[in-house]
Amino acid sequence: MNFLEHIKMASTTLLANKMRSSLTMLGIIIGNASVIGMIGIGEGAQSFVNAQVNSLGPNVLFIIPGSPEAQSRPVYPPQTLVLADAEAIAEQVPVVEEVAPSLNGSELMSYRGKNASASLIGATPEYLSVRSFDVARGRFMSDLDLKRNEQIVVLGSELAEQLFGNEDPLGKQVRLKDISLQVVGVMQPKGSTFGTNQDMNAFIPITTMANRIVGETSPYGTQVTFISVSIKNPDSMKAAQFQIENLLRLRHKITDEDDFTVRNQKDLMNTLGQITGALTLVLAATAAISLFVGGIGIMNIMLVSVTERTQEIGLRKAIGASQQDILAQFIIEAVILSAAGGLLGTAIGVGGVFLVAAVTPLSAGISPVTIAVTVSVSGGIGLFFGVIPAKRAAQLDPIVALRSA
Amino acid sequence: MKTSLSPLQNHQQPPSKKTIVKLENIKKVYGMGEIEVQALKGVSLTVEQGEYCSIMGASGSGKSTVMNIVGCLDRPSTGAYYLDGVNVAQMSEQELAKIRNIKIGFVFQQFHLLAQLSALDNVMLPMLYAGVPTGERRKRATEALIRVGLENRIQNKPNQLSGGQQQRVAIARAIVNRPVLLLADEPTGALDSKTTQEVMDIFTELNASGMTVMMVTHETEVARQTRRIVWFKDGEVIHSHLTPEDLHEATF
Repeated sequence: MNFLEHIKMASTTLLANKMRSSLTMLGIIIGNASVIGMIGIGEGAQSFVNAQVNSLGPNVLFIIPGSPEAQSRPVYPPQTLVLADAEAIAEQVPVVEEVAPSLNGSELMSYRGKNASASLIGATPEYLSVRSFDVARGRFMSDLDLKRNEQIVVLGSELAEQLFGNEDPLGKQVRLKDISLQVVGVMQPKGSTFGTNQDMNAFIPITTMANRIVGETSPYGTQVTFISVSIKNPDSMKAAQFQIENLLRLRHKITDEDDFTVRNQKDLMNTLGQITGALTLVLAATAAISLFVGGIGIMNIMLVSVTERTQEIGLRKAIGASQQDILAQFIIEAVILSAAGGLLGTAIGVGGVFLVAAVTPLSAGISPVTIAVTVSVSGGIGLFFGVIPAKRAAQLDPIVALRSA
Repeated sequence: MKTSLSPLQNHQQPPSKKTIVKLENIKKVYGMGEIEVQALKGVSLTVEQGEYCSIMGASGSGKSTVMNIVGCLDRPSTGAYYLDGVNVAQMSEQELAKIRNIKIGFVFQQFHLLAQLSALDNVMLPMLYAGVPTGERRKRATEALIRVGLENRIQNKPNQLSGGQQQRVAIARAIVNRPVLLLADEPTGALDSKTTQEVMDIFTELNASGMTVMMVTHETEVARQTRRIVWFKDGEVIHSHLTPEDLHEATF
């Protein structure tokens, strides 16, 4: 008797008991759907985080005020970074491509009675390329603008729309506190990064920002909120980080605890990846337990089925079925049940993942490998839990089996 | 049990042909250790090709045990059993499954049809295990069903058939692999007298066309339609060649 005929016969038997077959599959369906759902959501979260980190710009280091230890303290660290630090990095660290210091703030911006809360970014021309922003219309700031403390602004796409609607913002004056700024450009939409809407930004020359808007400088020069640094070659990331740290320690005359922190994208990605990875694992493990319980359900029903079908087994043996034939028949039934349950569960799980993706910012990330693995695992569960009932069936004495009326 | 018969009578010995069943001093002991039950105490029996033979006896006489051994469902404790010239007494379970499949056809009191399969599929089942190609399977199963007069019921499920029809499907299933021996265990036990006759007619017709038939029965009316009756008592054959006429005279 060949394999195909075994499958055909098992299907006939299972279809003859539709109610029981589907109830038996239910455990596996739920188990598989939850495994797929959990892994899918985990993978979605992972790729969401990666996309967020990538949107910060490629090969970028971030220098922020305060020691690495201070980053976890609830108080805001003092502004220890100054514009001169950024200039020193650009001049003295050879692997650095560009340096973009920025001085951030938040102010109400108005145009002809319309107000919008803008995220002010005092920037340099390098900000555009280091942080992967693009100008949609007009221009970004130039070195000359910085030198002259020009009162100009480049608006984020959403901010421009809120203030100007359908009107062309280029050349118009917007008001900020008691000064007015001329709009010279509008940015391409960028979306949000870690909950910050990048399209509500207003880019102002960092000198203008420091002198006219923030209006305070430290004894060491113009303070900056943080410095983004792009590196020529991703392989020299570590070297760049090391050189920048040494340079800043020297400049800040540090002997004890650093008053700044250098972060790279990869660290950030790894940290976040570990968190989402652990989360995925916990979720998947919980779901795997329900898959296991589903397997026990299959074994339970198959055992009942062997008892119920004792006469059938006896008859099959009497007309020539060998022990192997009976063993194969029951194992194949169990595997079909669990594999079919696995497929159905996968379909439901994938559907669930896409549903979650549709209503949350998470992307529907479910890899074909995950699907292949979970379906074969559920098939394997059928194989594993089908063996005991199948063995019991195969070893039935045909005489006793035929008598059991 | 009183009998007016001499133990060994050879009224109607069939023309000597090939020997199908040859049991030599078969013993069957059940249980182990101190509580042993001797179900068969040295049975010797020969059935030639083309015979039509009933096995009778009270319950516990050993007639079912001997049928199980003849049908290769069970192995004797000692003794030799030649089926179609081959000693199968101590064959492995695997080998016996093959022998049952190709050399023996079984008919049971409870029909034992698979409820989820059509008559045709039920009849095809033994050929499935024999590895007969699909096309030939269908052809032979259809022929067997025609032979038992069920050509109009081929696609019916067992629950759409009467008891007599179900037993005819079972007979078709038993003969479809062209066995050397057709074994029936109380084949009419679950049937009324009218359908009993229908089924017996099929056995008689099969035997007439050359099939060797052995059946266990406790119904005198059924045994009387066969040509040879073997009588069991207490694990032994006490009469091996009674004729139907002898049953009239006997006061069992």
